Amino acid sequence: MSNDGVPQKSVVNNVPSSDFAKEVEKEFGGEGIMKCIQCGMCTASCMVASMADRYRPRKLIQKILLGKREEVLSSELPWLCMTCRLCEERCQEDVNLAEIFHAVREIAAREGYVPKIFQNTINKVLEDGWLLKDAYTDFVEDDRSDLGLDPKLDWNDDFVKKVKKRYFNGGNKK
Amino acid sequence: MKEFVLYTGCTTPVRLPAYEAAITIVLEKLGVRLIPMKDANCCGAQYVESVSHTAFAAMSGRILAIAESMDRDILAVCGACSGSLKIVKHDLDHNPDLRAEVNDLLAEEGLKYTGTVEVKHLLQIFNEDIGYDAIKAAIVKPYNGVRLAAHYGCHVTRPPEIVQVDNPETPVIIDKIIEIAGATPVDYTGKTRCCGGPMLAMDQEVANKIGLDKIKNIRSERAQGIVTACVFCDIQLTQVQFGDTAGSEPKIPVLTLPQFLGPALGINFDKLGIQLNKISPEAILQVT
Repeated sequence: MSNDGVPQKSVVNNVPSSDFAKEVEKEFGGEGIMKCIQCGMCTASCMVASMADRYRPRKLIQKILLGKREEVLSSELPWLCMTCRLCEERCQEDVNLAEIFHAVREIAAREGYVPKIFQNTINKVLEDGWLLKDAYTDFVEDDRSDLGLDPKLDWNDDFVKKVKKRYFNGGNKK
Repeated sequence: MKEFVLYTGCTTPVRLPAYEAAITIVLEKLGVRLIPMKDANCCGAQYVESVSHTAFAAMSGRILAIAESMDRDILAVCGACSGSLKIVKHDLDHNPDLRAEVNDLLAEEGLKYTGTVEVKHLLQIFNEDIGYDAIKAAIVKPYNGVRLAAHYGCHVTRPPEIVQVDNPETPVIIDKIIEIAGATPVDYTGKTRCCGGPMLAMDQEVANKIGLDKIKNIRSERAQGIVTACVFCDIQLTQVQFGDTAGSEPKIPVLTLPQFLGPALGINFDKLGIQLNKISPEAILQVT
């Protein structure tokens, strides 16, 4: 039977099985990665892909399936997904790309690969409790008063400090 | 009168306070009272969400738990916040370990997540809690057919199985309200595509291209204005029209859904913050 020229099942080589794909699969949100059949519907639906040649969600999933761990984790590509989920709406295999790229980002973050703009914003949020403390000027306060809104915004910054201590200090290398 | 806890999120109160004012007054007019959430924190969308799912769940989980302590459902007016709160609620409801972890952190300030509150986006309040008939009955100054393009916002409508707001490919709520108020909803290519806002951090040029592509599609249907239901989308679709690559065609006014609906309900422009809009919509807001 092995001599009749017909490939046996065990030598079919398109079953995604890289260690990196298995690692992503175990991560929260990464569970669906093995369902991808590489049809390209995601790239066809993607507004980022339509405007930027360097980003192709199908190819990024392919790199993960093939096990290009360092290449993927150290690149900006997983961070270019807008998580708009238009691709997920159209994927016939229910691959949840936005969740998968979040899972990849989480692994990348643990190894110190976070784009500077993301890291700066995360640091700010985990310090102030919210995003726009520095942007809240007297002018905006006046606008709020004129509109009959409370100019005191009353954000809590204690809780995020606990979050930072529990999940980030020492957890992120680099 | 129905009551909801208003979670404004970080961006609306600073970048688009007119949206907050218009929501409050329009909903009040339609029988919904909002109670501001005090002592809140950022929901963690996009940034913390990207690097630690557990930390993200803790941040959104705290907001859900505060609403529980106030014994009211949440109204979220930003696509990112409503999406985050709904996704985290889904996760906490399906993952006991995650819930225990978040509750462990919340216990220090006497808060607890048990899953009793619902999270609603503004569009759901209009559709489910007020209803089209009641909106119709409250119209005192209908529009005269002005052509308007609805932009729904990705995180408002997707993932549909979790957020449960509207059809993700052919959403209708904003269009129906446009029609009820006497204006003309205009369909256009790429209606459910992203505004490009989430790309601003990583690549502003690509973000602008995505936003301007949407403006181009809306313009080609001769729409006179764009009606939004997310603070990020509203800001993005406005600011791309001021960029160097925006071209010389007249700018299309962008306004939030309550700012559009308000005048038809007889509410004055100044209470809706119309004067704060960067592209004045006054010419298209002439009610009869």
